Amino acid sequence: MLWGYLFACPAILGIMVFSLGPILFAFWVSVHQWNLISPIPDMVFVGLRNYVDVATSDVFRAAFRNTVEFTVVGVGINTVLGLLLALLLNQRLRVRAFWRTLFFLPLVTPPLALGIMWTSLLDRNYGAINAVLSRLHLAPQPFLASPDQALASIIAIAVYQYVGMYVIIYLAGLQGIPQDYYDAAAVDGAGSWQSLRYITLPLLRPVFLFIVVTNTIGALQVFDVVFAATTGGAQTSGGGPANSTMVVVLDMYNTAFKFFEMGPATAMAVILFAITLLVTLAQLRLLRPRM
Amino acid sequence: MRYTRTWSRREFCRAAAGLGVGAFLPLTACSGGQTSSSSSGPAHLKVLTHWSDPAQMDAMKAVFAEYQKQNKGTTVDYETVSFDQLLPKITAYRAAGTMPDVVHMYTLWLPDFVAGGALDKPPSDVVSDVKGGFSPASVTAATYQGQVWGYPTELDIYQLIYNKKLLSDAGVSGPPSTWDALRAAAKSATRRDASGKTISSGFTTMAGWDSGVVHPFVALLWSDGGQYISKNGTKAQFDDARGLAVLNLYMSMIQDKSIDLSLNMTDFVNGKSAMIIMANWWHTTMQKQFKDGFANVGVAPIPHGPNRQPITLQYNWMWTVAKDTKDRNAAWKLASWLNQAGSHKASPTGTFLAEQLGAIPSRVSDQQALTSKYFDDDFMKVFLTATKHAQPEPPVRGGQEVKTTLQQDIEAAWYGKKSPSDALADAAQRADETLAQNR
Repeated sequence: MLWGYLFACPAILGIMVFSLGPILFAFWVSVHQWNLISPIPDMVFVGLRNYVDVATSDVFRAAFRNTVEFTVVGVGINTVLGLLLALLLNQRLRVRAFWRTLFFLPLVTPPLALGIMWTSLLDRNYGAINAVLSRLHLAPQPFLASPDQALASIIAIAVYQYVGMYVIIYLAGLQGIPQDYYDAAAVDGAGSWQSLRYITLPLLRPVFLFIVVTNTIGALQVFDVVFAATTGGAQTSGGGPANSTMVVVLDMYNTAFKFFEMGPATAMAVILFAITLLVTLAQLRLLRPRM
Repeated sequence: MRYTRTWSRREFCRAAAGLGVGAFLPLTACSGGQTSSSSSGPAHLKVLTHWSDPAQMDAMKAVFAEYQKQNKGTTVDYETVSFDQLLPKITAYRAAGTMPDVVHMYTLWLPDFVAGGALDKPPSDVVSDVKGGFSPASVTAATYQGQVWGYPTELDIYQLIYNKKLLSDAGVSGPPSTWDALRAAAKSATRRDASGKTISSGFTTMAGWDSGVVHPFVALLWSDGGQYISKNGTKAQFDDARGLAVLNLYMSMIQDKSIDLSLNMTDFVNGKSAMIIMANWWHTTMQKQFKDGFANVGVAPIPHGPNRQPITLQYNWMWTVAKDTKDRNAAWKLASWLNQAGSHKASPTGTFLAEQLGAIPSRVSDQQALTSKYFDDDFMKVFLTATKHAQPEPPVRGGQEVKTTLQQDIEAAWYGKKSPSDALADAAQRADETLAQNR
């Protein structure tokens, strides 16, 4: 047993120092007042005051609302659209590898590059999408410049970026279902819909669970796509217009590295951690395959 | 004998947690732990700035090469990052205990770094030099709790920048000098196509950027005799009737569509906006982008409200020395050299600022020495004149948070999410909380 721990030691040490240590340190900072510039011994214990401040902050509440909306809508679209595209790509299409690569391509594009690209495409006055709308005699849309459309635009960018990954995972799941099941069902007179309903979907349940859980965890921690699409230039603080795309991690970043308020920033991290843990446990309980 | 010991899950978790925190804390605990010392031997100095444009970087490297030539045995390791990365970079270095010896920083951050014990107090000759040789507003900007903390450098002042052609095409004879004239000129200069798309906007804002929103707001507020933060730095004062009047000025231009919130400063350079309130650092950028069209760019004082005041806002940057520097004397020697004229007409910092950024140096002798070459055109003259009436951003702890808070609430009003009075009241309440926490 001791040898086992010894061999695992390097990995355990890495996790302790770079994951568990910072997590526990964040819990500790969250009940202190600290500006990151002062030495650690100068921290002042404030109990739960940071949590109260965060919970009553208008910006955090907006960020939380937006994060939940981003997660629910984004995960929903990715899960359904990913499945539909995977079912399509699982057919005997011509140049199937090309289509699969095409859907996967946005995932390997750096989020910052994607953000800049979409900011240009969605620009109200110079954007290609408004140029197309104009040709179709439709009114130009403000997209990222409007508080009513900005979050939806961000969700669309995120779906564009990540749906390819879920397509690939669904495809792996689809190809793991033995053809015998479909053949037997066909002999029994099952049509396409019945095969999908009674064979494909039940057998994809573990894949579905994996996608929902990982996508939810990623969505609750969204930062890069929002930062890239809403900071626009070096000077802007992101999350706009009027906090309509502010998300929890961006608020956390601004609070920590712009305002030097490490206490409230880590309190946000702890709250997000707790919520992510609870949501994940609930999803695992509700969606796990039943034996 | 074979040793076997089984750990329960609880024992393992407890040991792991102890190991994790125990190993992690020393990594972070070094912040602020070092003390300054001085050596008389060869010095190795690290300098950090935000002048990341390649041309600016080359120019600054040449400055440090000259210093190394004049000071054998001293090496300068120069690092530059973009403006948005500067503050995270400094704080990360500070937390790791590796803060560069000489840091060029925005004066708004000064109080937080002083309170965190990150900066070294300048020697008395530096303090005397700053107090005697720099513009008074810049000295105020570089002072916190009665102490000068370094050399003020770049000085940026907000004025009204306008496109002469767009105003003239709209039948506006000259730049507006009052709020009413600004409103009327903006309305006249706004043009839209049949689909509602903006062809040219009368006045342009810089939504999304805290300084871009708040600095013009404060310039307009001060031009009407209003106050941003109380003199003792404990209370926000932008939510009074004068602050509301400024926000209502914006709201009236948004309502009559003279402001298109989807446009920003780039659109001014693209000839799609008639007016913008902006700082002089933009001079060089505009010259490069407008090219021949730069002759169409004019500058005028901030249009004033009914309670006319000739005051506008300036913000500053400054050279500071880290408290953790391993060679205090060498660090201050470099900072001083950067700000002394020596055998030249102007200091290396002053020359760099004027040549590379079109920024006004804070040292008065630099301003005088560089005027004929850099500040004698119609554009810079107005900014230089305005230095006499400019006030710096108040140096208070939490200043950055107050500014971002106000930006967010001003934008909430602009986008119709809050009424102007609610927006300013909410911003003031949050600003007061921030100022109280940092007292």
